[in-house]
Amino acid sequence: MNQNEFLSAMEDVLQTEDTLSMDTILEDLVEWDSLSVMATMAFLDKNFGIKTTMSDYKTMKTIGDIAKKAGL
Amino acid sequence: MISFTSDQRFIVTGASSGIGEGVALLLNELGADVIGIGRNIERLLSMREKAKYPEHMYIEQKDLSDDIESLPLYIKSLKEKYGKFQGMAYCAGKAMRQPVKIWDVNEAKEYFDINYFAPISMLKGFCDKRICNHGSSCVLISSASALLADKGHTIYAGSKAALSASVRSIAKEYAPYSIRANCILPTVIKTPMTSSRGDYLEEQSAKYPLGIGEVSDVANLVAFLLSEKARWITAQNYVVDCGSF
Repeated sequence: MNQNEFLSAMEDVLQTEDTLSMDTILEDLVEWDSLSVMATMAFLDKNFGIKTTMSDYKTMKTIGDIAKKAGL
Repeated sequence: MISFTSDQRFIVTGASSGIGEGVALLLNELGADVIGIGRNIERLLSMREKAKYPEHMYIEQKDLSDDIESLPLYIKSLKEKYGKFQGMAYCAGKAMRQPVKIWDVNEAKEYFDINYFAPISMLKGFCDKRICNHGSSCVLISSASALLADKGHTIYAGSKAALSASVRSIAKEYAPYSIRANCILPTVIKTPMTSSRGDYLEEQSAKYPLGIGEVSDVANLVAFLLSEKARWITAQNYVVDCGSF
């Protein structure tokens, strides 16, 4: 998965009508709630084999931070 | 009095016969735009002929057990064609009676595909604010056998019980977006499917103090749960069995 595919996949994970970029601030997205965190955790695990915990997301500020976690 | 407007658009699966057909016709009669999905185009066309407002009844031929993984994309394509949806009634399903001693895992999976995985995949596609309106509602036809199954219903009852359990989780996931989801658990209802089984309905009728149920007995509850009158009702399983247990 390249960066553009990652952004498009995250739009589906978050079910957002916004177009995401690596600079998108998570807190600015109305969709960024606990269910979205849960969905993102499952998404990283399924697609990248990366296990994350709720506390990992406290330090992430942007979509790019999630991509970094995924190794992109 | 429940009424809808033609900008309130509903997906009804299994719309070519039985409960699905009854739901599609009732929602249409109550003023909604209906997209009726079914496998059989001739039966869909004859359903549309019965519609009170045929110009607000759209039909789509589709086998929902075919490529279940892609159903969210299918719903997205329907949204692009018709616009955002107000609700969905999932009435497609497959019933069987066979004792577990002739159980076959591959056949059992076919029942789970249409009775469980297909509705969950449809919900995945539907429950997305890019697809449905704020305040949308989904009703899934489960079965009274999910709670108390007669012999021969091992697989069927299992697939419906799975659906009834999952609706509670899905309803909680989507409540923050004001999307509701409920199941209805009917018992034997007079439909072409049950009428085709010889004396089956007659044998069953003694169980029901008010007689055998009609499609409209279920369809009216579906319409209520899809309407804004039911705005505070979610994650529920409603048994419609005339007290037969």
